[in-house]
Amino acid sequence: MKCYVCAKEGRDTDAVAVCIVCGMGLCMAHAIREETDVWEGGYPFPAKKVKDTLPRILCPECSLAMKGEK
Amino acid sequence: MASLMRRSVAELVGTMLLVYFGPGAAALLLMIAARESGPMQSLTIGSLGGLADWLAIGLAFAIVIAMVIYALGRVSGAHINPAVTIALFASKRFPATDTVAYIIAQMVGAVIGSILFYLSAGLDAVTIGGLGATAPAAGVTFGMAVLAETIGTFVLMLIIMGVAVDERAPPGFAGLIIGLTVGGIITTIGGLTGSSLNPARSFGPMVGDLLLGGPDVVAAFPIYIIGPILGALIAVFFYDWVVKED
Repeated sequence: MKCYVCAKEGRDTDAVAVCIVCGMGLCMAHAIREETDVWEGGYPFPAKKVKDTLPRILCPECSLAMKGEK
Repeated sequence: MASLMRRSVAELVGTMLLVYFGPGAAALLLMIAARESGPMQSLTIGSLGGLADWLAIGLAFAIVIAMVIYALGRVSGAHINPAVTIALFASKRFPATDTVAYIIAQMVGAVIGSILFYLSAGLDAVTIGGLGATAPAAGVTFGMAVLAETIGTFVLMLIIMGVAVDERAPPGFAGLIIGLTVGGIITTIGGLTGSSLNPARSFGPMVGDLLLGGPDVVAAFPIYIIGPILGALIAVFFYDWVVKED
């Protein structure tokens, strides 16, 4: 698979990841890795944040959209 | 996880809201009944609409319980009931230090809830409504009342175990189902004991009445300690036993 963002810019780069939201192939330069907090518990126990986080790979477009900046 | 202080404040606020809206509805119903039939009448809940009176009170409890669970469940666990906290502690699901802090917060919150209702509704809420305090109905003995409260709280704790504590429970339903269960229990048991199911729920109006000159229901208070705690303990151990894989 090739990087979709690079392909749009006329470059041919191998993808190393896939955006979890839109499924776009992404090269290292365009893959955005975000750490997502994991919570356990909840009613009737207080919810607590787990020490480890879950990684999430996003493309630049989805990353902006998830932050409400688009 | 939020600090014990924040979680205790959440329990205090949750129980305060429970007592304001739940027993508040009971007090208001008596105030409305007094307006309809005159203050000299001997009024009980049911004078206006029979079992529908209890259904209305049950619905007020159901809605506020669901609201508190959805709003504060993630913060403190939204027990808002010492019997629930004690049962979770007894089954080794909740630490001892947190248990003591939660119970104190629930009791204080219940008293504040009753005082706030008095400040909102006036002295009639105390003299006519008794701030929604619980006492057994005429003809219901101490033993009968304890039994009814035990059975009611058994059902409450059983649904908490099934819909919330059990990891296999479907997420998102706890507040709604637990609230409605309490509403249903109140509709049936309300006419017998007032259907407290919760020592804090009885404690708040009782203390409020003592402070503000309402009816003295102190003698009945042990019913609302023994019954709910016993019912919750039986439910938690029964559930753990009954779901055990062979």
